[in-house]
Amino acid sequence: MNKGSKIATRFLLVLLLMFTLVTGMYGQQQRFPKPEFESGYAQPHTLTPEPRSTAMEWLDVAVLTAVMALSAWFVLRKRSRQGILWLSVFTLFYFGFYRDGCICAVGSLQNVALSFADPSYAISVTVLLFFLLPLIFSLFFGRVFCGAACPLGVIQDLIIVKPISMPSWLRKTLGLIPYIYLALALLFAATGSDFLVCRYDPFVGIFRMDAPFLMTILGVAFLLTGLFIGRPYCRFLCPYGVLLNWTSTVSKWHLTITPAHCIRCKLCTTSCPFDAIDRPTDPKVIKGSRDGAKRFLVYALLIPVWMAAGGFVGFKAHIRLSKANPDVYLAELLITHPEVKKDRDNIDVQTFLSSAKTMDQLVEEARGIRRKFKYGSTAAGAFIGLVIGMTLLNQVIFRRNEDYVPNNGACFSCGRCMDFCPVERKS
Amino acid sequence: MTMNIENKLTLSRNVAVVSGIFCLAVSFLLLLNYWQVSRFDPLESKAMEVLVERLSENPDDDALKNDIRNMDLLARKAYFNSHWQIRTGSYLLLFGAVLFAFALRMYHSLKSKIEVPEPHGEDELQARLLSQKWILISGAAVLILALAGSHASVNHLTSFGTGKPGESLPVTKAEENIEVIEVGGEPVLQSGDSLLAADGSAADDSIGMLAGDDESPRSTTTPAGEMSLPATSGAETTVNFVFPEAGTLRAHYPAFRGAFGNGISAHKNVPVDFDGPSGKNILWKVNVPLAGNNSPVIWGDRLFLSGANAQKREIYCYDRYGGKLLWTASASDIPGSPPTSPKTTDDTGLAAPSVTTDGNCVYAIFGNGDLLAVDYNGKRMWARNLGMPDNHYGHSSSLLAWKNKLYVQYDTNKGRKLLALNVQTGEMLWETNRNVKISWASPIMANIGGKYQVILSADPLVAGYDAETGKQLWSASVLSGEVGSSPAYGEGLVFAANEYARLVAINPSGGQVVWEQDEYLPEVASPVVSGGLLFVATSYGVLACYDAKTGEKLWEHDGGTGYYSSPVVADGKLIIFDTEGKMQAFALAREKNLVSESALGVKVVTTPAFANNRMFVRTGNALWCIGSK
Repeated sequence: MNKGSKIATRFLLVLLLMFTLVTGMYGQQQRFPKPEFESGYAQPHTLTPEPRSTAMEWLDVAVLTAVMALSAWFVLRKRSRQGILWLSVFTLFYFGFYRDGCICAVGSLQNVALSFADPSYAISVTVLLFFLLPLIFSLFFGRVFCGAACPLGVIQDLIIVKPISMPSWLRKTLGLIPYIYLALALLFAATGSDFLVCRYDPFVGIFRMDAPFLMTILGVAFLLTGLFIGRPYCRFLCPYGVLLNWTSTVSKWHLTITPAHCIRCKLCTTSCPFDAIDRPTDPKVIKGSRDGAKRFLVYALLIPVWMAAGGFVGFKAHIRLSKANPDVYLAELLITHPEVKKDRDNIDVQTFLSSAKTMDQLVEEARGIRRKFKYGSTAAGAFIGLVIGMTLLNQVIFRRNEDYVPNNGACFSCGRCMDFCPVERKS
Repeated sequence: MTMNIENKLTLSRNVAVVSGIFCLAVSFLLLLNYWQVSRFDPLESKAMEVLVERLSENPDDDALKNDIRNMDLLARKAYFNSHWQIRTGSYLLLFGAVLFAFALRMYHSLKSKIEVPEPHGEDELQARLLSQKWILISGAAVLILALAGSHASVNHLTSFGTGKPGESLPVTKAEENIEVIEVGGEPVLQSGDSLLAADGSAADDSIGMLAGDDESPRSTTTPAGEMSLPATSGAETTVNFVFPEAGTLRAHYPAFRGAFGNGISAHKNVPVDFDGPSGKNILWKVNVPLAGNNSPVIWGDRLFLSGANAQKREIYCYDRYGGKLLWTASASDIPGSPPTSPKTTDDTGLAAPSVTTDGNCVYAIFGNGDLLAVDYNGKRMWARNLGMPDNHYGHSSSLLAWKNKLYVQYDTNKGRKLLALNVQTGEMLWETNRNVKISWASPIMANIGGKYQVILSADPLVAGYDAETGKQLWSASVLSGEVGSSPAYGEGLVFAANEYARLVAINPSGGQVVWEQDEYLPEVASPVVSGGLLFVATSYGVLACYDAKTGEKLWEHDGGTGYYSSPVVADGKLIIFDTEGKMQAFALAREKNLVSESALGVKVVTTPAFANNRMFVRTGNALWCIGSK
């Protein structure tokens, strides 16, 4: 067979393959004969959009890893705030506007919680990596994810104009909220009720250029607040930040303000918009702390009390909390207001009535969910009690500090402070 | 041109101011748009609702239809316009916000000086004391508020099951003393069965000549054998059940496709020459109150069919001589009946299954799972709900009654079963789970080897079940897709087919496929076999005739118009209606011989019913009687 015929054969084979694929697809789509329209209307071909390829999900993981690695390099080696800044811009466009803010590491903790609680839920490897990779990086390099790889963080970071320093009592008090949010998010995710973090993500509507009215207002409010209060969502709401805080506190390496040693020039004290710089400990404070030993003992003994109180409140609150589950809500609605079955506008009720599920089955499912809430909210309450107790205890624990250092847990590794330090890096 | 800091400051300040004003203006416009849409949603127009309601009362008002179309077009334009405005405004706002943020940052960055470090920071001890105070207060506040909130909540789930209204009955499960048979798919042979006669023909009842049933109006002769009239009036209706034999069933037309659902009518002088538009040989045509895609059934002088809409489900009884509506029985107030009907497609509807009668009662099933039995005067005998069928087109399997059992093919998305209910009480006698997917076919019955079987078609199994016990006797995994075509039995073979699958002839002794074909396959119409000939009608207009024993194609007729109505055999002819209402009658012969072609002039998707000298056709909201005067 000469070259020409080979080419022709290949071309014909390709044509045949394409024809088979096309007709196969057409055969699958056009299952039944088309209806005959009297007006001569020609039915358009049905198009089914392809789902996003798995390879692209792996690409997202690869991009996340690359961004975090670069961020770590900019923070630890290059010490370049500009690098972090441009990386943030890239993250805003890639993970924010291009990927529409989803999947994100912040929401992925709910997927992980659900996968533990529901054996039938299969978490995808890429989502699991989105959950694990920032934590792993944080264990080694600090919160480099927050600094340049989190779309929610960078959108707030990029609009900081004139940050106000907040008094520590306010920071500590508001700092309880992320723990409460974490407990509730895990509870609701594990019971299959809702993904709270996703539902109340203030920025996802901005990334998608589409959101309900209230969510849009919430997002804009956060951004306007962020002009003056650095990263309000990250500092006072983000539940994933709790985990990053824990891992970053024990990180092997971390951003340092000075490349060499601190000369206590205080030039960096106003550099951090997030009040994340720990000052050298005042000797008077150290002396004063010894008088607080009694207080330490009291707070330590109160921790189990807080946990018990929190657990009790959580147990009591489980009925109220479980009503957020759609099945529980529907079952109770049908029990307390049976006339709602006639309401044709109530889609949930009509969908249930059109299904083959009986009231008995629905109520049984609802009872099972409420039982899960009973145990889950008791545990969540105890956790919140523990957090309150530990936060109190931390207020009477004084750590000796000689230099101006970033607080490992709270520092977002944004690199702003590095430019303020006059100390030259040793060659 | 290089700019000095002053110029840069001025530029960034001006850009920030302009972009800030721009953002405010766009935000205001977006808010205005939101307020406008939330008040006057173009898709929720009250005026449209009023027009649609008027149209449902006057469905033939073309001017009104035009008005609705125009209003709908305006609403869609307004909706998409609003969407475009929001989208454009959002992008403009984003652009403005980015510019604003950038300019503001530049401005502050240019303006910022090296700040003098604070002489002293906040008093740490004081700060920590204050923190402890506020943490205590807020922690306690959170717990107290949570506790207070939880006290106000009531666990309503505990009150369920205490007999309060609003609780509906569970889906019918196996009741006490009822045998539930799980069938895994393997055929079960009874020892000693002889499923084929020595000469190879089916060892079933032959269709004998029938006595009686002449067409004089108001004849008082009743067919030989059975039919006791029910007690008249009184709060309690009693019927002395007498179960007809096969021959008696065949003397009437008691089910979809006739006695046993096999598509063969024993009636004579069936009219095949008529014209709907001109009224030639149309004896009467009456309106049926509610539409339905079920076919009429006949017992004696009564014709029965059903109709339904989202609110009502009814059985109708007509005097088949004059067309007078004698009574209407309503399927209402049935325990367990869902308050709203399921969604069905227009070509199925809520009254797709045909009713059946055994001369004692009339039995009907509807798309919401309601099952109703009424006596010959329309008085309710019993009623129950089998559970809302999860069926994406709508439940369409017709009923069959034989001896003391009413057979229900209940193949849904959530469960597939053959049910047998006591015809007198509605009590479940047995239910057999089937290892198949959802189906829209109807059951047929056949006497095979001296024993009656109920034969069902579905994906993937065509299977035969013992009519007494419900045990599966055989099965063949031969079909795929959404099966709407019912099986047929004749020449000792079971025939089944489905579009995109195949046409098969199955030996019911073991479920072996004797032959198969895939040239012409039905989608809706069911095959019929008679005189050694098998007829298959497709939804794209081909009627094909095969040799029933060998599968050899003998002839085909391409009518050009699809067939949904099933071909039936009557008076030595193969009669079929296409979807345009054109009837074709072919001789039962190995050569194609179109004996007659007549037009009803309206769409026909149901299958006709026959009596001597008469043919009855149901078309949606109308019932026709064809015959010569």
